[in-house]
Amino acid sequence: MEQASSSLSLQAEVFQALQRLHMTIFSQSVSPCGKFLAAGNNYGQIAIFSLSAALSSEAKEESKKPVVTFQAHDGPVYSMVSTDRHLLSAGDGEVKAWLWAEMLKKGCKELWCRQPPYRTSLEVPEINALLLVPKENSLILAGGDCQLHTMDLETGTFTRVLRGHTDYIHCLALRERSPEVLSGGEDGAVRLWDLRTAKEVQTIEVYKHEECSRPHNGRWIGCLATDSDWMVCGGGPALTLWHLRSSTPTTVFPMRAPQKHVTFYQDLILSAGQGRCVNQWQLSGELKAQVPGSSPGLLSLSLNQQPAAPECKVLTAAGNSCRVDVFTNLGYRAFSLSF
Amino acid sequence: MSSESSKKRKPKVIRSDGAPAEGKRNRSDTEQEGKYYSEEAEVDLRDPGRDYELYKYTCQELQRLMAEIQDLKSRGGKDVAIEIEERRIQSCVHFMTLKKLNRLAHIRLKKGRDQTHEAKQKVDAYHLQLQNLLYEVMHLQKEITKCLEFKSKHEEIDLVSLEEFYKEAPPDISKAEVTMGDPHQQTLARLDWELEQRKRLAEKYRECLSNKEKILKEIEVKKEYLSSLQPRLNSIMQASLPVQEYLFMPFDQAHKQYETARHLPPPLYVLFVQATAYGQACDKTLSVAIEGSVDEAKALFKPPEDSQDDESDSDAEEEQTTKRRRPTLGVQLDDKRKEMLKRHPLSVMLDLKCKDDSVLHLTFFYLMNLNIMTVKAKVTTATELITPISAGDLLSPDSVLSCLYPGDHGKKTPNPANQYQFDKVGILTLSDYVLELGHPYLWVQKLGGLHFPKEQPQQTVIADHSLSASHMETTMKLLKTRVQSRLALHKQFASLEHGIVPVTSDCQYLFPAKVVSRLVKWVTVAHEDYMELHFTKDIVDAGLAGDTNLYYMALIERGTAKLQAAVVLNPGYSSIPPIFQLCLNWKGEKTNSNDDNIRAMESEVNVCYKELCGPWPSHQLLTNQLQRLCVLLDVYLETESHDDSVEGPKEFPQEKMCLRLFRGPSRMKPFKYNHPQGFFSHR
Repeated sequence: MEQASSSLSLQAEVFQALQRLHMTIFSQSVSPCGKFLAAGNNYGQIAIFSLSAALSSEAKEESKKPVVTFQAHDGPVYSMVSTDRHLLSAGDGEVKAWLWAEMLKKGCKELWCRQPPYRTSLEVPEINALLLVPKENSLILAGGDCQLHTMDLETGTFTRVLRGHTDYIHCLALRERSPEVLSGGEDGAVRLWDLRTAKEVQTIEVYKHEECSRPHNGRWIGCLATDSDWMVCGGGPALTLWHLRSSTPTTVFPMRAPQKHVTFYQDLILSAGQGRCVNQWQLSGELKAQVPGSSPGLLSLSLNQQPAAPECKVLTAAGNSCRVDVFTNLGYRAFSLSF
Repeated sequence: MSSESSKKRKPKVIRSDGAPAEGKRNRSDTEQEGKYYSEEAEVDLRDPGRDYELYKYTCQELQRLMAEIQDLKSRGGKDVAIEIEERRIQSCVHFMTLKKLNRLAHIRLKKGRDQTHEAKQKVDAYHLQLQNLLYEVMHLQKEITKCLEFKSKHEEIDLVSLEEFYKEAPPDISKAEVTMGDPHQQTLARLDWELEQRKRLAEKYRECLSNKEKILKEIEVKKEYLSSLQPRLNSIMQASLPVQEYLFMPFDQAHKQYETARHLPPPLYVLFVQATAYGQACDKTLSVAIEGSVDEAKALFKPPEDSQDDESDSDAEEEQTTKRRRPTLGVQLDDKRKEMLKRHPLSVMLDLKCKDDSVLHLTFFYLMNLNIMTVKAKVTTATELITPISAGDLLSPDSVLSCLYPGDHGKKTPNPANQYQFDKVGILTLSDYVLELGHPYLWVQKLGGLHFPKEQPQQTVIADHSLSASHMETTMKLLKTRVQSRLALHKQFASLEHGIVPVTSDCQYLFPAKVVSRLVKWVTVAHEDYMELHFTKDIVDAGLAGDTNLYYMALIERGTAKLQAAVVLNPGYSSIPPIFQLCLNWKGEKTNSNDDNIRAMESEVNVCYKELCGPWPSHQLLTNQLQRLCVLLDVYLETESHDDSVEGPKEFPQEKMCLRLFRGPSRMKPFKYNHPQGFFSHR
């Protein structure tokens, strides 16, 4: 009955094509050896790409496909981080850990799965951001329940809960020196928390500042990056560089579209968000370059700076499509990996 | 006196010579007395030589006398006259002699001539005789030769050999003692025997002939008897028809069908047999019939010598065309094309009856020269259908069966060998002719048992029953689902064009009770126009917008917000879901490239379609998707965060119950409807 199966396979084909069209890659993470890249999408799947194979000179079309893809979560995988041996992924309310060495084999199972204690029971809140605090060997989770949870990586227990946000939290950043955690949320405020005292130290309400506020976009803070003294944040309000001690905006980057991810890189600030391009900014506020990618909107950037694989030192960008753009040189998009 | 005068009158000749005068008298005397003077007799007596001498002497004397006279005359004198006179008399006498001599000479000449003549005549007579005899001799010789050459007929007869003859012939014929010695008699005897034998054989022959006649007559009688039997059997069959109908066993009808089926070409025959078998075994709603002219079919398949007739016919035709004005090249090519695309006069008709009394009529044709089958489809419903404008293509015979199996669009011929045939007559592609010939779908070929493998081209493709049987059930089921889904769509379109999304009661649970956004427009869109739209690029790039699909545009409105939805309807609906692409015009134009929530809405109807399928056979998918779009638009508009800088109330107050308005890094709106609690949440 070849035709029956062929119509079924056509159905499967069409469904797959539609899925790919509507796929969003939310998070990326580079392996500790630097040769692999993990990407998590809105269907809860994680795909492992081999950067070394894709970047090598004998790369073929299959090298741009994942080495392995598996269903990690029931809901979207909003955030991922890598420790030196594990990949931690979080999505619909739970954190799972995977062993990097095991993941390349098919049918791998998570090492553990933890759910922080939530207050509400009606809806399971999502986890939007994961942050590793190496000094404490702990993991900070933040998301839909407007709280920051700290989990000890060794024991797996949830040690602290930091409350203060009035709406859900989008992003986290670590200020190494103090150590302090910055969190930005839907309520439009960037809050600084001291980890030792577990208290909110500083609050910056970005939308209240006229230079950067953009009411038509909303007040939500989508992305945060910090360089100890400086912080750059963006989202509804314009992308702005702040001096943390004085809580003043020093530079407003003239980007109309809301930015969803920002990071410091050498002496530049890289940002991406609505719109195809990865934007490179000088600290003075000038736009150095705009490099177009293949997705109509970008949600995450990842810089592979692992010392073990200098040949795989690339910038990868992913967002509203099934593709991960690879920039070998910040000036142009070299190729795209695809789910 | 009178007698004397008469006697004197007779000789007219004046003879001065004495002798002749005597002769004269003698003659007259002889006349009376029978005595005459015959000068002829005198000739015999005289000697010719002496006469000659006398002639010579006379001539000399004459000459002398003349000379003397001459002399005398010249001398003249008195006495000359007397001497001249004397000499004159002498010359006269000499003249008389000369005359006589002349006469004698003449007579001698005449005699000589006569004698020669006689002799000649004799010789001639002898000559003639000789010749006659010679001819006779020759004639006789010829006759002899003929006689010698004569072959009697009896020698041509193969007589039995001598030994046999003596053995077999009865003694009164063979007569050994006579014939042994005499070959003539022997031959005669043998001939007699031959005659005897022949007579006997002739007798036998006559007997056999009469026997044969008798037997032939018997055969005739029996034949008549048998042929009289046929009408009686027929009448019995006729009489049994009412009984058949009463018992619901239409053997007669089936029998007739099988009769006609014998004239079907092999692929149609395979189809007929398999379809009938399937209909009897599994599916009572399937009925099979054969249409067309059986006589024409018989005419096509006469024994091979008719192919020569065809050739001679075509030759005759060609001659005719050369005699008439030759038709143009285009017309000739046209005729060749028509010849190539000729259909077999018989066709098989399948009627598939569906649950709601609508019928799918399929007519299968066989193209003889191309060795492929085609099908023409027609859908009739129990009640008259009023076709809404947008539903034009749904049930049209051209497209109702398109892509029954994926990719089977029926525009190209499935037989790779046909391409060479097409090149000869200038046919580019079969799709120009499908309207009148029917569509050559792949499943049609499979049902006819024809298999055209792409990898190994076969010399001849023959119809295979097992191939047909293995595909029959699936194909019939697919056909039925196709017709039913199309009819369902037909009805739904009628409602959609009036702005009502027909949601059945068993699908109500998928949607909240109050839906404010309304469908205001539902139209068909051409394939090219769909490709031109700016918000459908992703679908086109993903290869999901082929030309076998149907395209529509829906417009949903609420207040100032207008949502355009471009729909791709795959012929394989409803197992293949319709695909929507959205463009919202409200406070600017929002599509999936600049608004994540529009993307999420598309995902809700495109990717999560399985929830919207409804009860099998999921004819409600499209309408449920449209209804969901209306709900999504409601959610989108009501959950839009209020812009503090703009004065005035929100255009759309929030009426939907939502747990959270935004979630996740993309700040998604709560599009998922939860039943029966009735609130919206995120996926």
